[in-house]
Amino acid sequence: MLEAYSQTLTHWLLVGAAVILLMLITYALLQALKARRATAVGYALVLPWVLGFVIWQVYPVLYSLYLAFTSYDVLTPPKWVGLANFKTMFLDDPRFWPSVRLTLLYSFLSVPLGMIGALGTATLLAQDVKAVGFWRTLYYVPSILPAAATALLWRFMFAGSGLLNSILSPFLKLFNIAPPSWFADEKLVLPSFLIMSFWGVFGSNTIILLASLKNVPKELSEAAQVDGASPWTRFIRITVPMISPSLFYVMIMGIISAMQNFTAPLFITTPGGAGTFLNVYIYQQGFTQFKMGYGAALGWFLMVLILLLTAVVWKFSAAYVYYEGEVRKEG
Amino acid sequence: MSTQLPRIAKTFVVYALLIFGASVVLVPLVWMLSTSLKGRQDLFTYPPQWIPRPMVFRNYIDAWKALPFGHFFLNTLFITVLAMLAELFTTSIVAYGFARFDFRGRNGLFTILLATMMLPAVVTLIPTFLIWRNLNLIDTFDPLTIGAWFAWGPAYIFMMRQFFLTIPRSMEEAALIDGANVFQIYWHIMLPMLRPALLTIAVLSFQGNWNNFQAPLLYLNSMEKFPVVLGLKFFEQSLSKEAPMWNYMMAMSVVMAAPILGLFFAAQRYFIEGLNVGATKG
Repeated sequence: MLEAYSQTLTHWLLVGAAVILLMLITYALLQALKARRATAVGYALVLPWVLGFVIWQVYPVLYSLYLAFTSYDVLTPPKWVGLANFKTMFLDDPRFWPSVRLTLLYSFLSVPLGMIGALGTATLLAQDVKAVGFWRTLYYVPSILPAAATALLWRFMFAGSGLLNSILSPFLKLFNIAPPSWFADEKLVLPSFLIMSFWGVFGSNTIILLASLKNVPKELSEAAQVDGASPWTRFIRITVPMISPSLFYVMIMGIISAMQNFTAPLFITTPGGAGTFLNVYIYQQGFTQFKMGYGAALGWFLMVLILLLTAVVWKFSAAYVYYEGEVRKEG
Repeated sequence: MSTQLPRIAKTFVVYALLIFGASVVLVPLVWMLSTSLKGRQDLFTYPPQWIPRPMVFRNYIDAWKALPFGHFFLNTLFITVLAMLAELFTTSIVAYGFARFDFRGRNGLFTILLATMMLPAVVTLIPTFLIWRNLNLIDTFDPLTIGAWFAWGPAYIFMMRQFFLTIPRSMEEAALIDGANVFQIYWHIMLPMLRPALLTIAVLSFQGNWNNFQAPLLYLNSMEKFPVVLGLKFFEQSLSKEAPMWNYMMAMSVVMAAPILGLFFAAQRYFIEGLNVGATKG
């Protein structure tokens, strides 16, 4: 065991030293080429990221595009199969579309729900509340907990005779409804995941939106109040547009992470794979069935899906997001 | 009087909602702690038992011993600390470069960096795995720690850069005139002022590496190398497959969450300010 530690530690130190050495070489080279000081130092300093970008992002993205057109089981070399993976994916794989559907529905519902929750909480905290720091910290706690621990906790609370059903039981008895089985009921898998996600979203989103709310100039709202605008009108017409850049940021990041939901569904067993999110399915195909070519094709599909969604939100945002100091073209 | 009453009513509603929200946050956590101290027979009692009778502190010892959790803990700490140190070092240096040096192509590179925030990790998963496999380093800690030297986390770089932009240039310029080199300026002048930013990134990075599940799941096979999260998964899959031992699993979840919670509370004053500078200016 010590061997494993010392091996990694050695490699870690060597790679660290190599990165620093490469930075110095870049600097010396640019100096020798008579570059300006700012250029030489600048390139040397950002070198680690440039290297990382090429090694861990550009190359893998391109290589996985190639793999997407192959059949590859890790043991024998990849075999070119053309569009076969995509044909399987779209036409023949009975598990593909349900998992796309679950992933999309989850993102479409959990992101707006979470944003409304976070915006509501932030608005409350912006009302000159005493001990804001205390509340802010408290609301942040769910989002720093390990997703694995949270998933297990919710699975336990959602058990047939778990905490949630115990709390609900007076109401259930009143209306004569059988206690729901949540994650164990195919139809309730999605709602259960949504409820669970709602608990975890307050954290950083609330903090970002709260900071943004605090930056809205009070004069705007006061002027509108003098003109007789109701609190609701002021909120919708002044506050929301003023914080729209933050809302936009929270939304994009929320979509990207919701589309890649992974840890929670792997800790929660659902009947008949009803809780197989796309990212989980990619893992199953690529790493438990060793269909790396098919896995890469699925990965590319998910990436394109995420980029499309982001682009759509972006397009819409051009009309709604307000940036101070920006000159807008009329019409 | 007519404006007094609505104000009191409003204050009341605000606090009532805040307390309601807080209880939604806290109830599951209290339940986790309470379950971790229950005997098996008390797991599903009705009405729910909030304070276990008797309190079974032995759960923590028994669960800890059911699998080599001591080992798992050490592994997690090892991975987390190495990755965090390398991330802190490289992301702050790269951010310094982007914030302070006007080199050709800087804005283009920075735009690319921001765009990579939107690149889903899932698409690089398989090729990255194959790189480590070709290096013969599967089932070692290398894939979980060494990538950090390449400035993991565009979001961290972005946050750091925002911090650098808030620091006035005059001190650096003075030091430059006194003949200090870039490294000296970075180390003696920038780093001390960056403390809140570094602390924020440290907490985020510690949390990210400590909680990370996907990477260890892909790269580690032998149990002696598992981090806590894989131990938890293994426990859930094998030892408590038939009848889930929720009390043990909750006990180990508490143990896994405790260090992050501790760190968060210790650093929270800086941390939340840090998040704000990173998120609102941009």
